[in-house]
Amino acid sequence: MSETPSSADANDIALRSSIDRSLRHPVMFFFTCGALWLAVAAVLGLIASAKKHMPEFLGGCSLFDAGKIDAAHINALIYGWGFQAAFGMIIWLMARLSRKECTSSGIVLVAGHLWNFAVLFGVVGIMLGMGTGVPWMEFPTAVWPVLLLCYMLITIWSLIQFQVRDAGHVYVSQWYLLAAMLWFPWIYMTANLFVFVFDGNPLMAAGIASWFKGTLFLLFFLPVAVASAYFLAPKVTGRPVYSYNIALFGFWTLAVVGPWAGMQKLTGAPIPQFLPYTGAAAMVLILVPAIAVAINILKTVSGHEETVTASPALRFTAAGVVGLLTYGVLSAATHAFGFSLVQFSYTDYGFDILGLYGVFSLCAFGAIYFIVPRITRREWLSRRFISWHFYLSLYGVITVAISAIVGGISQGEGIEAWNQSFLAGAGRAQSYGWGVTIAWGLILLSSLFFSLHLLLMWARLGRRSSHPTLLKGNHAESPHGPEGEVDNYGSATA
Amino acid sequence: MKFKAFIFGLLASFGLPWLLAIVVPFSTMRSLDPAKYAGIEIDGGEGIYIPKRDGRISEGSDVYGQEGCYYCHTQLVRPTYAGSDVWRADWGGLKKSADNPDTRRETLSTDYDGEKIAHIGVMRVGHDLSNLGRRLETNLKGTQLSPETWMFLHLYNPRGIAPYRKNSQDREERSACPSKPGLFNEVSKNIAGFDALPVAAPEGKAIVPSDRARALVSYLVSLKKDTLEQPVPQDLNYNPIQPVAK
Repeated sequence: MSETPSSADANDIALRSSIDRSLRHPVMFFFTCGALWLAVAAVLGLIASAKKHMPEFLGGCSLFDAGKIDAAHINALIYGWGFQAAFGMIIWLMARLSRKECTSSGIVLVAGHLWNFAVLFGVVGIMLGMGTGVPWMEFPTAVWPVLLLCYMLITIWSLIQFQVRDAGHVYVSQWYLLAAMLWFPWIYMTANLFVFVFDGNPLMAAGIASWFKGTLFLLFFLPVAVASAYFLAPKVTGRPVYSYNIALFGFWTLAVVGPWAGMQKLTGAPIPQFLPYTGAAAMVLILVPAIAVAINILKTVSGHEETVTASPALRFTAAGVVGLLTYGVLSAATHAFGFSLVQFSYTDYGFDILGLYGVFSLCAFGAIYFIVPRITRREWLSRRFISWHFYLSLYGVITVAISAIVGGISQGEGIEAWNQSFLAGAGRAQSYGWGVTIAWGLILLSSLFFSLHLLLMWARLGRRSSHPTLLKGNHAESPHGPEGEVDNYGSATA
Repeated sequence: MKFKAFIFGLLASFGLPWLLAIVVPFSTMRSLDPAKYAGIEIDGGEGIYIPKRDGRISEGSDVYGQEGCYYCHTQLVRPTYAGSDVWRADWGGLKKSADNPDTRRETLSTDYDGEKIAHIGVMRVGHDLSNLGRRLETNLKGTQLSPETWMFLHLYNPRGIAPYRKNSQDREERSACPSKPGLFNEVSKNIAGFDALPVAAPEGKAIVPSDRARALVSYLVSLKKDTLEQPVPQDLNYNPIQPVAK
């Protein structure tokens, strides 16, 4: 997968730049709208968290009622930011790796607009009290078929590109992308049909909703993030992936373990007993693919520490991979020992955010810092903005992990101590709640730097330069591929 | 890795859990055999166990979901292997006292009948609500407030009223629940009549609960998932182990 200036002949570069050009509008649209939704989700998360320890906060405004705002927050984060970042990554990575131009960017763009309207309708619907009351699936029920249709219209072209690619090597990233593209519609249709359409026991509906929560992260967001890491690590360092066999092992363990996750949330509920157990077992075993991916990526970039710190793409990706390792270790520990303590504490939310932000989003930021200069043919404007974005994101997600996951264990102990007053235990959550609020404040700040930077790039105000923006003093050498790859080939307009 | 083998691998690794953890349990759970009582003298009932519950369950459960109550409240009394819920003073039912027997029990699969989804809940920022109706009824006995009125006042301003518990260990507690002003309307005093809540309102105005608030409160006071009014077949009632008291 490595490309050195000598091997990249002119045809190759021309093909790459024509692929980039064909995808410029949809990918920029997804990334920019996603970044704005991330800022919205951070504001909502800040309010939602503040209300848990300051119940009077914004008390007079029924639009921001507690509960509804939690739902609006997590749905904006998932469907507004998460999916759109994933779409941009999927369509760009798949086109580049299959070496095919996108011939349907118009349809993708239309579907992308529809997706945004549907998410906006859904979030406003939740805030007006029309939500469904199913965690992570709160959008009014009219929204999910629209989202599924948009999803199909956005990703189908990437499947076709893969099918019509010139025969050759299938990259590790492509396994993950293909699998994520196929898993998601199956998961989403199952969850919505079994919860909203088929008539069953309300407990099983709750169980399937929890399964949706577990698998949506493990089998959609995680593979997309890992695909991006498997693309960027070799690409930026210019070395092949450390071990093909570990990659294979990591992929198939995720494929086997992932689909069982989720129902541990219903431990102790009167559903078939094995369901929570297999769910918890999956959350323990997820450590295995996490270690495999982390070893492979970190081994690939080891020895290139300078590149990892200097390249924004690689720095974010490496942070995301470390996030994945942390996720695996903490998940295995909490689900193996004393899950009853954390079943209904902040810990669960901590895992949601560590996964969605500390793993997926950090990898997505890495991909965005790599992709955007190529499709806009402009370099990032400000090293300082990228640094601020990085450190605020990192401190934000570390604060969430410490307050919610570790704090949640203490909160859980308090709640489980049956012979003490409940509020004495729940009161412990108040201080950790402050931590979560502060974390969302940090993430909000970071996402302001990020969105502003991205908007400027979208407006094509990036630097016209053949030197990529690196997080170090001079621009003498470029780890981002050959000099001038961005600027010197062909006209910027189609 | 061949493409066909890849697709087959994906189908197998996802399809199997999908069948075993989703489809099969779903169809099992949708047609559970009703539980039978062992007899009047054994478990206090006869024939088939048909759970009884009054109130606007379906509507109220929808409002409960729409308002996002499940983010801070759970409705699950776990068996003792999974948590200490049944031991807590009044989550699983009432402790044995002069007025009542021990009515505590675990959550049953029929407890959510009539609701679209079981509101298991995300977090316990607040109390478990499985027996909220029972707690209100017991604790408000002898006061001027009905459970419904207490609930309305609580939703309107959680820190504006005294806690309903009189003698419990949580006597000192101050509610940490945010208020839900969106569930109430401000109307002219003349048309409010008996619906007016005893709370401060602008001159000539009164605060009345909206229809959604009525449905929600009707649902909340119906939450009595214990064995006081209706015994549970012995097959389903694993009497909580009495822990060595504090």
